[in-house]
Amino acid sequence: MSEPIIEEHVPMVEYRHVHKHYGSLHVLNDINLTVEPGEVIVVIGPSGSGKSTLIRTANRLETIDAGEILIEGLPLPEEGKQLARVRAEVGMVFQSFNLFAHKTVLDNVIMGPVSVLGVNKKEAEEEAAALLRRVGVEEQAHKVPAQLSGGQQQRVAIARSLAMHPKVMLFDEPTSALDPEMINEVLDVMVELARGGMTMVVVTHEMNFAKRVSNRVLFMADGQIIEEGTPEQFFDNPQTDRARDFLESIKTH
Amino acid sequence: MGIEELLGQYGDMYGTALLTTWWMTIVSYAGAMALALVLTIMRVCPIRPLRMFADFFVQVFRNIPGISLLIITVYALPKLDVIFPYDICVIVTTILIASAFGSENFMSGINTISVGQIEAARSLGLTFGQMLRQVVIPQALRSVVLPMTNLLIAVMLTTAIASQVPMKPPELTGLVSYINTRSTGGITTFLISALCYVGTAVFIGYVGNKLDKKVRILR
Amino acid sequence: MSASAGISMRDALYEQPGPKMRRRIRIGTAIALVLVAIFVLGIIRQFYVTGQLDAKYWAFFLQPTTWTYLANGFWGTVKVSVVAGAISLALGLVFMLGRTSSFAWLRGLSRAFIDFFRGVPSLLLIYFFFLVIPQYGIKMSSFWMITLPVALSASGVLAEVFRAGVNAVPKGQTEAAISIGLSKMQTMFKIVLPQAIRFVIPTLISQLVIVVKDTTLAYVVSYPDMLQNARVLITNYDALVSTYFVVAIIYILLNYLINQASIAVSRRTGVKILRPA
Repeated sequence: MSEPIIEEHVPMVEYRHVHKHYGSLHVLNDINLTVEPGEVIVVIGPSGSGKSTLIRTANRLETIDAGEILIEGLPLPEEGKQLARVRAEVGMVFQSFNLFAHKTVLDNVIMGPVSVLGVNKKEAEEEAAALLRRVGVEEQAHKVPAQLSGGQQQRVAIARSLAMHPKVMLFDEPTSALDPEMINEVLDVMVELARGGMTMVVVTHEMNFAKRVSNRVLFMADGQIIEEGTPEQFFDNPQTDRARDFLESIKTH
Repeated sequence: MGIEELLGQYGDMYGTALLTTWWMTIVSYAGAMALALVLTIMRVCPIRPLRMFADFFVQVFRNIPGISLLIITVYALPKLDVIFPYDICVIVTTILIASAFGSENFMSGINTISVGQIEAARSLGLTFGQMLRQVVIPQALRSVVLPMTNLLIAVMLTTAIASQVPMKPPELTGLVSYINTRSTGGITTFLISALCYVGTAVFIGYVGNKLDKKVRILR
Repeated sequence: MSASAGISMRDALYEQPGPKMRRRIRIGTAIALVLVAIFVLGIIRQFYVTGQLDAKYWAFFLQPTTWTYLANGFWGTVKVSVVAGAISLALGLVFMLGRTSSFAWLRGLSRAFIDFFRGVPSLLLIYFFFLVIPQYGIKMSSFWMITLPVALSASGVLAEVFRAGVNAVPKGQTEAAISIGLSKMQTMFKIVLPQAIRFVIPTLISQLVIVVKDTTLAYVVSYPDMLQNARVLITNYDALVSTYFVVAIIYILLNYLINQASIAVSRRTGVKILRPA
C-alpha cells in the first residue's frame, strides 16, 4: 500500500501538564512546553526554580509524578532498552562535566558510539578526533580528564555528546562551574552548535548567550514557567514582576 | 637455643609453617574476596531485605573479635551438629571477618565514583550492565587496590588464630608456641616467625603500592 | 544546583524503576524475604533440634551473679583496652615523630619498628611476652603480658594514622610558622601536631575497635577479661553455646558502638575517618 506520506509536524520534545514533587516541594508545577526541531531554548530563573529538574526529566534522569513527556511524538519510555535508545538520541551536558575519570579524553568520546551505536572502534576514533578538533581540544586526546582545565573538560563533554549524533541537546548550567576566563570557550562552541541548527534546551545564567542565539527564553520560578517569549521581548519588555526583579538582580552582578 | 641448633632441629618445621601461613592466607583471601563481592552486590541492589541482610552481616563480622568467632566455629558449632576440621574452622573464621572488611572496601570504592558519571553513562544510552562494566567496576577496582592490599596483610595476620587450635602442622605463630612449650627456644624462635610475617607483609605492601601507582585514577 | 546532590552512589546505581522493574523488585523482595526467613528459622531450628534452646542453657543468664561475673570480666577488658590504647597512642606518636624526623637513621629505625609491629600478628607478640620473656628470668603480671603486646601491635598502625594526619595539615601552616621564626620542633608541637590530632580523632576512635578485639586474646595468658570469664562460666554451667554467643554479641555491640561514636564525631567535626591497614 502506498499511502501518501503526510509530513506530520512532530515537536522534538513536548511536556504535557508535567508535575513533580520533592516531598512537600512542588518542583515542577503543570509544565507545558513544546520544543520544535532546530529551536534553541534558554531556560532561566532563580536557583531552586526547577529549571535543572525540568531538563533532567527529558531523558528521565529524574522521574515525573504526573503528566506526560513526548520525544518526537512518542512517550518517553520508563525503562529498559527503549529508554536507553531514546537517551542515546538526547544529548546531555552537565554542570560538573561528568567525564569518566578513568578513561582518556578520546575514550570518553568513543564510549557511546562503540558500546551503544555499535560503531567500530577505528571509525569511532576518527570521528572523535574530528569532534575534538571541532571543539578545540584535539591536543588533549590522550590525557585523562583530571589533567584538563574545566573549560577543556566541558568541551570534551560536548564532543562526547555530539559523537552520538543527538537529535536534541540538553545543557544543564554548562558554564556555572567554570572560571570566568573559560566560560567563553565553552559558549563559543555552543553558539556554533546553535547556528548549525542543533535543537537545544539550555539552562544557563549567561544572558548574552540567550540574547545571541536563542529563539525563545523561558523564565521559571517556583516550579512554573512564569513567562516565555523571544529574547527581545523578554529582556527588553518583561511582562511579570518576578521576571523584572530577576533581571534586575542579575544586572547588579 | 642458638640459631644453628634451632634451625637444625626445627628448620623444616619453620618452612612448613611459613607455607601453611601462606596457604591459609591465600585460600582465606580468595574466599573473602568472593564473599565480599556477593555481599557488595547485595548491599547496592534495590531489594531491601538483601540489602539489610548484607548490611547486618557486615556489621556483625567486622565487629566480632576473631578469637570469639573461632571459638564459636570450633567449640559451639559442633554442639549444633555443624562440624568442620580445625583448619577449615580457621579459614571459615578468617573468610567471614575479611569478607566484611572487603565489602566495606568495595563500597568505598564504589563511593569514589561521582553520581554524575553514572548519569552521564545513562545519558549516553548505556544499559545498566554496560554502565557497570565500563564505568563503575573499573573505577571501583582501581581505587580499592591499596585497601585490598592492606586487607591481604590483615588476613595473613588473622590466620595466626590457627595457633589456638591443634593444627598439624602448626603455622608460624603456632610453631613458636609449639617450640617454647617443649623447650626454651628463646627470642630467636620468635624472631624467625616474626621476620617471615614482616617479610611477607612488606613484600605484599610493596607490590600493592606499585600496582596502585600504576592504576590510580587522577582526580 | 543538581537535584541528585547528596544521593549516595549506593542509591544512584539503580535508577528510579519503571513499572516492569518495580514488579521485578517486588517479586525479588518477596523471594528474598522468604530466603532470609528460611535462613533465620534454619538457624533457630538447628539450635532447637540440638537441644541448645533448653532452659538450662539460658536460665543462668537470669541470675545476677552471672552478669556480675561477666561485668568483672568486662572491667578487665576495659582496663586492658584503656591502658593498651594509651600506651599505643604515646608510642604511635613517638614512632611517627621518628618517621618524619630529619635524621635518616632515626627515620629508618622508626620505619623498621612501624613495619615490624604492623606486620606481626598480636598473637605472636603475646607468645613473645608469655613464653619467651620469662625464659630470660623476667617476671610479668598477666595484665602486662596482654596489655604490652596489644599496645605494641596497635602502635604501628597509630603511627601511620598520625602521619596521615600530619600530611593532611596544609603546607602553608608550616611555612607560615617557620617564617615567623618558630623552630622546627616548635612548628611541629605548636602548629602541626594540634591540627593533625584534630584530623585523626575519629580514626583513633575507630582504631580502638582493634584494641578491644585484641584484648580477647587475654585468655592465652589467663588474664580475666570478659572472654576468659565466659570460659569459667561455661565450666560452671556447662552452657558453652549460649555463653559464647552472648559474649560474642556483647563484643559486637561494644565495637559497633565504638564505630558509631567514631562516625558521629567524624560527622560533627567534618573530619574523615581514615582507613589504614
